[in-house]
Amino acid sequence: MSDLELSRRAFLSSTGTAARASMIVLSMPMILSASRQARAAQAEGAAFSAFTAEEAAEFGAIAARIIPSDETPGATEAGAIHFMDHVLSGTHSDRLPILREGLASLQATVRSTYGTPRFSALSHAQQDALLTEIEDGKFFGTIRFLTVAGTFALPAYGGNRDGIGWKMIGFEDRHMWMPPYGFYDADYAAKGA
Amino acid sequence: MAWASYPTREEVDFVVIGSGSAGGIMAKELSSAGFSVVVLEQGPHLHAGNFKHDEWDYTQNEALVWGPRKGHPQTFRRYEHEKAQIVDRPPLGYAHNVGGSSVHYSGNFWRLRPIDFMEASVLGPISGTNFADWPISYDELEPYYTKVDWEIGLSGLAGPWDPPRSRDYPCPPMPVKASGVLLERAARKLGLTAYPEPHAILSQPHNGRPGCVHCGFCNGFGCEVSAKSSTAVAMIPLAEATGRCELRTGCTVSRINTDARGRATEVVYWQEDGTEQAQRAKAVVLSANGAESARLLLLSESSRHPDGLSNGSGMVGRNLMFNGGSRVAGLFPEPINAHKSVATTRVIHDFYSIDPKHGFYGGGGIDERSLSRGLPMTAALGGSVFGGKSWGSAYKKSLAREFTHACSFNGHTTSLPLSTNNVTLDPDVKDKWGRPALRTTFMNHPDDIATMKFFFDRSMELMEAAGAIQIEGHFSEEGQRGGVHLLGTCRMGNDPATSVVDRYNRSHEVPNLYMVDGGSLVTSGRGQPTMTIMALAFRAADHIIQAGKRGELA
Repeated sequence: MSDLELSRRAFLSSTGTAARASMIVLSMPMILSASRQARAAQAEGAAFSAFTAEEAAEFGAIAARIIPSDETPGATEAGAIHFMDHVLSGTHSDRLPILREGLASLQATVRSTYGTPRFSALSHAQQDALLTEIEDGKFFGTIRFLTVAGTFALPAYGGNRDGIGWKMIGFEDRHMWMPPYGFYDADYAAKGA
Repeated sequence: MAWASYPTREEVDFVVIGSGSAGGIMAKELSSAGFSVVVLEQGPHLHAGNFKHDEWDYTQNEALVWGPRKGHPQTFRRYEHEKAQIVDRPPLGYAHNVGGSSVHYSGNFWRLRPIDFMEASVLGPISGTNFADWPISYDELEPYYTKVDWEIGLSGLAGPWDPPRSRDYPCPPMPVKASGVLLERAARKLGLTAYPEPHAILSQPHNGRPGCVHCGFCNGFGCEVSAKSSTAVAMIPLAEATGRCELRTGCTVSRINTDARGRATEVVYWQEDGTEQAQRAKAVVLSANGAESARLLLLSESSRHPDGLSNGSGMVGRNLMFNGGSRVAGLFPEPINAHKSVATTRVIHDFYSIDPKHGFYGGGGIDERSLSRGLPMTAALGGSVFGGKSWGSAYKKSLAREFTHACSFNGHTTSLPLSTNNVTLDPDVKDKWGRPALRTTFMNHPDDIATMKFFFDRSMELMEAAGAIQIEGHFSEEGQRGGVHLLGTCRMGNDPATSVVDRYNRSHEVPNLYMVDGGSLVTSGRGQPTMTIMALAFRAADHIIQAGKRGELA
């Protein structure tokens, strides 16, 4: 079994789905989609401190393009938006104006290009095209920083739910490891220098 | 057991400013010898149970390394004619807590070698620099290196690769990592020797502390089992147990006062709540590190010492050296998992001194590391090392591959001492106490950069020999913009006109003031200076204790 499959299975078991394993693998995209909707609903209902509900939806949509949900879960399932809300209402509140100004500017572009005010209402392709335009700017840099941090920081900060970010890259948070740690040191132990 | 507690208006024998690599040793040695000691530490006293695998707090929220978010901005400029600017990440990086940076270091402990102490004589002067011999030899320092091995607690393997040693390491080396195997096998192919990295981390129980559990949150983090040999676990408890050493945390020193005779009399500081205090003392040991000690001396100016205390030579704050570096990353077909265990397990010292026929001065070592210190969030923030987009599905895939299947071969190299590279008081920016911020002025000597390039090239050859399927490298071609090895700013020497402290770390100018930290280093060594900082501290303490026994301290 590959690492990827392991992380999928771990993710699925942590969502509490009671379906059989074979069923899960076959219906993976559907379950992921349902899970995303559940998370989104939860996000709508949850009380945000720094964000309005609209801001949370818009920033969440951007985060979902930075670390998308594809073969593995992404920023949405990790709850990166909750991490962002947490640190922006505390230690990193100085970044909030950058995000608000950036979002207003992005929404102005969305309105003039597509005639709708919501970035989150656009297709993924439309979203990606817009984000590519601004990927070198301060606004995108800030939201990318917070999205990535929210996907990989300790779950205690509100994101990286169930260690989703860590599983994505093959990191396991343990307090003890024993050698061998990888392939080459195992090989060295078996064959010598 | 009674804990020491001294009234501030009564003279103690010593105030030690700073409880880090040098200060922790000075506190333990002086108190064990019977002296009364007050240690002033600006940070908190953290213990194993306080440390977490909390990458956000440690790398982004200034948990140990304070910066602008904690009210300690620093400024940087390249050249002295420029105006320095505030930098988000403090250019001079050090931990603020009992044990100082020995709490968060990676514990790579290289002794200097005999050549380091007499290189200027052997190679001749280098124009435009303050390159000089040390006033002491390797042989004079060797017993104290051995003291560090055993009292601080080191793991390593003695061999022909080591400088001369009088005693074996107390603990065997750390188990080799996959990345270390790649370096060792590549070295052998190229006719070089990669040997086990010496660590100030215990591989097995020693002095009542346990062996390393290889958790991987090492470099930049505090050890959760106290296997890392910081002075916070190896020295401070012994100092406190004497009943003669009082550790005062949350105390930020503002100045050292002197009397009409030019002797240090008291150390003025703020408690955490802002209350100003002054501790009287017979003598002062300044071990606040190569940045803070210089700042404090400059802040302690007076009519008698208009350019700062102990600064008749004008050398306080000058000759700042960081050690250069280069990094070559390689992607491999099989898992490496370099994020587990200690930072590095193999090192090559075949290029300790680059042949002068290359036309520049330098030397160094090469070791192997994880990318991004093996930290998941730091790796993800950095994005793909081997190119590609920094967001989207392709980005996710590259992270998944690189985190487990890549490592780097890093060069650690010499820095030349220059008057124009220095720590001074920023004229405009202040810290939360109203003290002038640390201002760094730094541009590498061309030989530093040529040396980094030399090591970059050797690492490239090694990475190819190791069989990497993709290779990317980097060194500071345009000069470094900061560092964590803070060296040279209170340099040691026999001549008071060109140095700040004498061969025993005593101020040339103030007879009861000792500067003991990275500032004392005359040359930079090849990287990993803490072993030498600690050996100098044991030696300075030994000298003070012997002088005290002969009644020479008064």
